[in-house]
Amino acid sequence: MQLYEFQAKKVFEQSGIPIPKGRLARTAEEAAKVAEELGDALVVKAQVLTGGRGLAGGVKFADSPEQAEKIASEIFRSVIRGERPRAVLVEERLKPLCELYAGVTYDFRRKCPVMISSSQGGVDIETVSREHPEAIARKLIDPFRRFEPYVGRGLATEIGLIGNKANEYANIVGCLWRIFEQYDAELAEANPLALTGDRLVALDAKLNLDDKSVSRQSDFLKSIEPMPADQREGYEVRRSRARELGIPTYIEMQGSIGVVADGAGSGMLTLDLVADYGGKTRVYCEMGGETTAEIMENALLAALAVKDLRAVLINLIGGLNLMDEMAKGISSYLRKHPTKVPIVVRMSGTNQDEGRRVLTAEGIRWFDSLYEAVEKAVAVSRGH
Amino acid sequence: MAILIDRGTRALVQGITGKIGSFQTKLMIEYGTNVVAGVTPGKGGQKMECVPVYDSVHQAVRETSPEVSICFVPGPYAADAAMEAVDAGLRLVVVVAEAVPLSDAVKMLALASERGSFVLGPDTAGLISPGRSKLGVQPHQLFTEGNIGIVSRSGALSYETAKTLTENRIGQSTVIGLGGGPVWGLTYRDALERFKDDQATDAVVLLGEIGGHMEEEAADYIAKGYPKPVVALVVGRTAPPGQKMGHAGAIVQQGRGAAQDKIAALRNAGAAVVNAPREIPNVIKAELRRRPRAK
Repeated sequence: MQLYEFQAKKVFEQSGIPIPKGRLARTAEEAAKVAEELGDALVVKAQVLTGGRGLAGGVKFADSPEQAEKIASEIFRSVIRGERPRAVLVEERLKPLCELYAGVTYDFRRKCPVMISSSQGGVDIETVSREHPEAIARKLIDPFRRFEPYVGRGLATEIGLIGNKANEYANIVGCLWRIFEQYDAELAEANPLALTGDRLVALDAKLNLDDKSVSRQSDFLKSIEPMPADQREGYEVRRSRARELGIPTYIEMQGSIGVVADGAGSGMLTLDLVADYGGKTRVYCEMGGETTAEIMENALLAALAVKDLRAVLINLIGGLNLMDEMAKGISSYLRKHPTKVPIVVRMSGTNQDEGRRVLTAEGIRWFDSLYEAVEKAVAVSRGH
Repeated sequence: MAILIDRGTRALVQGITGKIGSFQTKLMIEYGTNVVAGVTPGKGGQKMECVPVYDSVHQAVRETSPEVSICFVPGPYAADAAMEAVDAGLRLVVVVAEAVPLSDAVKMLALASERGSFVLGPDTAGLISPGRSKLGVQPHQLFTEGNIGIVSRSGALSYETAKTLTENRIGQSTVIGLGGGPVWGLTYRDALERFKDDQATDAVVLLGEIGGHMEEEAADYIAKGYPKPVVALVVGRTAPPGQKMGHAGAIVQQGRGAAQDKIAALRNAGAAVVNAPREIPNVIKAELRRRPRAK
């Protein structure tokens, strides 16, 4: 789960990392008001989750509150790499002497956290890593040991900082580590970390939380100021509704078939086969391998919220998942929400005989073979 | 022979009194797994499916000497339970829970590697040696005993493949689910090493998916000269980039981890690459004809 910049910055600030003065604005008028409090050197930043927002026109400088208002209203009308901004962050514009990088994430190959530092901030760290590997310092952290402050001082020296600047940098590295550890983050990153006079300021903040730690971070998650809800019906709204329904994976594409699966690998296989058979997936819902009749019903609710589907293909091959439960979920949905969209079910796995009996009794046709089911779904989606 | 578990392997079930743990224990015992004990803290002294339940793994080890464990303890507590099993000296722990916090998972894997134990998972279906033993949650009616090893990140994809093989009268020696990632204990490479030395296995099916580097590592290993045929399938060819496709580790990020790269690496290493499980039976037959079993 990725936080928006304004949310991440609040966490950074509370943990002791300096950030620019500024505030969130939900409308262009509000942006003008915030700007008036900040002076004439301003930056207006679209609050979106996509990377490369600056290149896509989501970050712009302004020299007066009027200009900030104008820029904000442009941003509110724009679509930035598929996202429609619902808020902008209006901040004072600082003049950095140089831009650094500091971050903590996981090294999945080494299976441990890693602290990353660089003297070249302001660009994607992956790019720096490719083009200027000498500008990067890394330190792996033993999962059983605490982070010790000397690690931050070491990294500061390695990227060429001296004196007070090195100390400041080491402090920020320590703050990032505490955020990373305390909130079960996957990534905590200050980039760029601007050097302005004697001060280091996080001009941008990234905080990605581990989805698998959500249950033990519920207090923290509740404390985060939410992004204003999107009133316009669209992908984002449908996706968050699916999440509320307990569907962890909801992805929309360009096509005509809804695909529902009860496993990540079998789901990806289904998507590949749909394409191989000449069909196109419109929406994909994956429920996880340990699910219930209610989630199955909700997955259909989420998938069929997409208009103009020409077929829904449900591929179930369960181990932990019980097929009789899945069949109950499907039939319950269809009783409550009769639909003209053809539903094609493939069902195999634990308790399959009981599940198939339920489907047959409800007049729902099922397949044993995935290939026959895919072929059927693609054919009906093409009007055959 | 089979790898990792065999007929008679003494198994412990952690979280045996939970809804999933008790149901899956019943299925494993019916299948022939030698479940010698269960552990649920606070429920010691009971019996579950005729299996004695203990409060701690150390106690279960003292009384019943299990060698391996399958852990049904839910996500937030799973790593702690698995570490208890590693600490008690079990050589293999299967971690079924899907939502193990990453910071717990890396601790669990670090301890296991320090102690020379293997963790399978997290977020895994476990493993099954058809006809012999099962330390997992597979729908076992889809599996038959035979000479093909399967290793897959996804459980469901391994069921799909075993089903196709079984329908074509090709049995399996051992079928392993590695888990959803993004960190793994046992890897493809580890499984390939074991299949190499397993006399019951004549060929290996490697079921890969997008994200991470494990398939590429396996390809490097195969390229050094693997003595048995490897048939590979990588799913997620049509997955949109930047999206987690159900598994935490199944994501193409900044162009890395794409199916096409993994397919190319495996093909260049000498694996026979297919597009769907139903192509596998014929390819296996052809590979085994081309490369008869090494005696």
